[in-house]
Amino acid sequence: MPATDYQGSSVPFTSLGRSILSLRREQIHSMEGQSEASSQELELEAFQRKVSDCFHELSASVVSNGDDLLSVAWTRRLLDAFISCQEDFRAILFNNRGHILRPPMDRIVGEFFERSVKALDVCNAIRDGLELIRQWKKHLEIVLTALDSNQRALGEGHFRRAKKALTDLTIGMLDEKDSGSVLQHRNRSFGRNNVGRDPRQLGHFRSLSWSVSRNWSAARQLQSIANNLTPPRGNEIMATNGLAVAVFTMNSILLFVMWALVAAIPCQDRGLHVHFSVPRQFTWAVPILLLHDRIMDESKKRERRNSNGLLKEIHQIEKCARHLTELADSVHFPLTEEREAEVRQGVHDLAQVCDALKVGLNPLERQVRDVFHRILRSRTEGLDSLNRGQGPD
Amino acid sequence: MASHKPPPPPPSPLMADNTNTNTNTNINSNSGEDKLIAVARHIAKTLGRTETMTDDILQIFSTFDGRFSREKLSDKVDADDPTAYAAFENALKSLDRRISHYVSSDHPIWYDSSDSAAFLDAIDELVATVRDWDHMSGDKPVAACLDRAEDLLQQAMFRLEDEFRLLIERSGEAFDLNQLNHHHHHHHKNNYSFDSDDQEGDDDEANFDEDEQSIPVARPLSDYDIVIDALPAGTISDLHGMAKRMVAAGFGKECAHVYSSCRRDFLEESVSRLGLQKLSIEDVQKMAWTDVEDEIERWAKAANVALRILFPSERRLCDRIFFGLSSAADLSFMEVCRGSTIQLLNFADAVAIGSRSPERLFKILDVFETLRDLMSEFESVFSDQYCAFLRNEAVTIWKRLGEAIRGIFMELENLIRRDPAKAAVPGGGRHPITRYVMNYLRAACGSRQTLEQVFNDNGVDYHRNADNPERALSSTSLSVQISWIMELLESNLEAKSKMYRDTALSSVFLMNNGRYIVQKVKDSELASLLGDDWIRKHTAKVRQCHTNYQRSSWGKVLAVLKLDSSSLAANGLAKSLRDKLKIFNSSFDELCRVQSNWVIEDDQLRMELQISVAGNLLPAYRSFLGRLQSAAELGRNAEKHIKYSLEDIEARTNGLFQGNGRK
Repeated sequence: MPATDYQGSSVPFTSLGRSILSLRREQIHSMEGQSEASSQELELEAFQRKVSDCFHELSASVVSNGDDLLSVAWTRRLLDAFISCQEDFRAILFNNRGHILRPPMDRIVGEFFERSVKALDVCNAIRDGLELIRQWKKHLEIVLTALDSNQRALGEGHFRRAKKALTDLTIGMLDEKDSGSVLQHRNRSFGRNNVGRDPRQLGHFRSLSWSVSRNWSAARQLQSIANNLTPPRGNEIMATNGLAVAVFTMNSILLFVMWALVAAIPCQDRGLHVHFSVPRQFTWAVPILLLHDRIMDESKKRERRNSNGLLKEIHQIEKCARHLTELADSVHFPLTEEREAEVRQGVHDLAQVCDALKVGLNPLERQVRDVFHRILRSRTEGLDSLNRGQGPD
Repeated sequence: MASHKPPPPPPSPLMADNTNTNTNTNINSNSGEDKLIAVARHIAKTLGRTETMTDDILQIFSTFDGRFSREKLSDKVDADDPTAYAAFENALKSLDRRISHYVSSDHPIWYDSSDSAAFLDAIDELVATVRDWDHMSGDKPVAACLDRAEDLLQQAMFRLEDEFRLLIERSGEAFDLNQLNHHHHHHHKNNYSFDSDDQEGDDDEANFDEDEQSIPVARPLSDYDIVIDALPAGTISDLHGMAKRMVAAGFGKECAHVYSSCRRDFLEESVSRLGLQKLSIEDVQKMAWTDVEDEIERWAKAANVALRILFPSERRLCDRIFFGLSSAADLSFMEVCRGSTIQLLNFADAVAIGSRSPERLFKILDVFETLRDLMSEFESVFSDQYCAFLRNEAVTIWKRLGEAIRGIFMELENLIRRDPAKAAVPGGGRHPITRYVMNYLRAACGSRQTLEQVFNDNGVDYHRNADNPERALSSTSLSVQISWIMELLESNLEAKSKMYRDTALSSVFLMNNGRYIVQKVKDSELASLLGDDWIRKHTAKVRQCHTNYQRSSWGKVLAVLKLDSSSLAANGLAKSLRDKLKIFNSSFDELCRVQSNWVIEDDQLRMELQISVAGNLLPAYRSFLGRLQSAAELGRNAEKHIKYSLEDIEARTNGLFQGNGRK
């Protein structure tokens, strides 16, 4: 998502601090000698400000606390921001329904709705991903039960139980393509050969299948949302009374939010390399580009490169699970006090992640669903007014 | 570490009933009271799922009979007794031997029902022993024993989990058409305790086959009122026995996880065998509509099978395996069905989101009706708290389909409104849009009840009301919707009628279309939707067109034939009559020539028009001819000026509206 210089515009974007809209207004005013901004212009400016504020807030919390990025709580705030902007945008479309019927607005809005549909599939894929995390959480809960701190004493049996759950978790967290080899090493308590069995059996360990077809790809879906997404040209802005800017803004938010969700949550064929150009002249571009860079940086970190989701809690699960696995592999019985304290600490950390997931996953899933419904409602309304408007009379 | 004397309280005397255990040698057979107390204690333990419950039950016993004093009933081991833990040790040793024998076995324990029973008994005893001694964990040797006991329990649970998986997977394999494990399956078939009674029950419904237990849903279904027993009753009770032990030992999560992942795979496999693909919203949008239609048919079948057969069967299976463990049952059931349900609903959603072109109405109605008819199944099969969201999703998507259907009618309105008045239909015939709209509405009325439901559900539609303020006051029921569409059609036809330069032809055009509309309304559901008043009003409109046609087309001709007193001045009478006749001949000739190319599509209407034209013309012409022949100076010459006899006139009018020019 590199920042690009604004090109092909008849409106010069020389002043970084000024919004495109006020610039345009000044131009018109200087031509027509008006002094009052129309309510439509005010509405569009308020929208720019709103988007800007929302994303500044999101990026500020990340800057002040790097741990916040892509945590369940932060992701929920991101979706809140999206929903809030989406509602404002929907109001703009409704208030300007006369305008959106005329070219080039009809085309611009039509393209926006096409992108929306693609986002709906991303929402559904994310819902599957959240369910997958929920499955992982179950293995974690078994670990917590096995190594429960209320336990009288931690014995070999408890560790064996925890280790088994951790192994199941590891398999569950692997990408499908890697899971075969691990399965062959999986211990069964009695003689039964897993090798050469129906690959469907993998499902028992993979713990979840996606609701989309096998060839569906989140990366491709993002690319197709990003396709041909370019800032409006100066003449388009003029011809649409600035509405094209609002649509571009919403398009960009849509793309960014979907991209961030795919970055955070496991889904089929994740991939973050999406070309997205936002001119820095838009006030909201700065925080969005900052967040984008932070997320990209995170994805490049060595310990996260093979992760199937950048959600902070997933990372914590991985860390806790690895730590506890190492501990479980190295303990001798009876436990030394030092070791026991170490285990208790590991369990405590794990319990915290579990709690965060317990508190956050359901609301997050509801929110993703809400985003789905709202995108859809706005699209339906928009298409309705586009349809109604076309005609000889 | 041999015990010198029997340890005080027996771990669980009743447990011994069905085992060959030799651990409870301590019961003093002479003392009936001891036995009674042991039984009472056991009852309390068995019934009490928790410590406090057990305690409550003991309390009830103690107030019931003096013999059951709390002291006597208490199985608290005397910690000061040095021999006490030795008994524990002994019991544990024996249990270890028995359990390890199975845990290390290379063959599935459940191959042999006596093995499995013995294994479960040993587990029960182990759990009971741990519970008996748990309160003494402060005592070091006891604590060491407890550790060993828990270790043993864990090993037993792992084995139990594997056995559980094996047993449940086996049943999934049995439904595999490919029979990859066919040989394996057959080989061991007799070792599994298939309950033959249960199988019989399946035979008539499910087409179970000796070699190939195909899924019953594969054959054409008309009656969904069947339940599959995916697992034989014997297996189910085996699984229940295992689940009960795992839950009791605190391994309920493992058990539920194995259960739901196995059954989920089974269910998803079954759904995919119904021909249902996994499709994204975009996939559905990109598909050709005919392919979507095929998919909808498969979907409707799959949804019915899933909601009426597969899910209830899973529910039943789940309730039986987790009998008495309701929250494990509910949670597991949700996990089993979640994916398949969402797959089914996502497709319906994708259809609702898709294009709203009018020809899609009928298939979308199918989807709407399928979901509507399954709503009570959604309610009943997903009635518990964990499944509530699936229920809500179903309602949301069903409503969305209703919205899509209303959207399609809006699209139909647009289509009518936007149909341009480009080229006039030659001869004033019926316009294609009239036929399209009328046949469309008639077909739509085949689903009248559904549509009424859809339109009654409609909230305030601000768009529509803004367009047409009158309608804001009325309800948005189906009849209002239909009459609104009729209004749009009529005004579109009005606009099209203006294309004809000849006003008479405009009238013919409106007559043709109006007549068609009224007839299509009269002989269909539309009649009752639009009402008698509507039909009367529109019949009158057609009649008005008829009158307009007569006036604008034949008015002048009739005027020529009119003989008033001023024109009958004796002087130039003959000349005047001769001139009038000439004018009549040529204009009649011209009108007949032109109007024979016009069209009245309806035979009866054509005849009516021909008759009425003749009926107006003939009396006037007859009296004109009479006048002509009686004019003195013309005399016999009159005949040679008369081009058309009365019969000729009638014959020519019968040639009107044949649409000659159209062919």
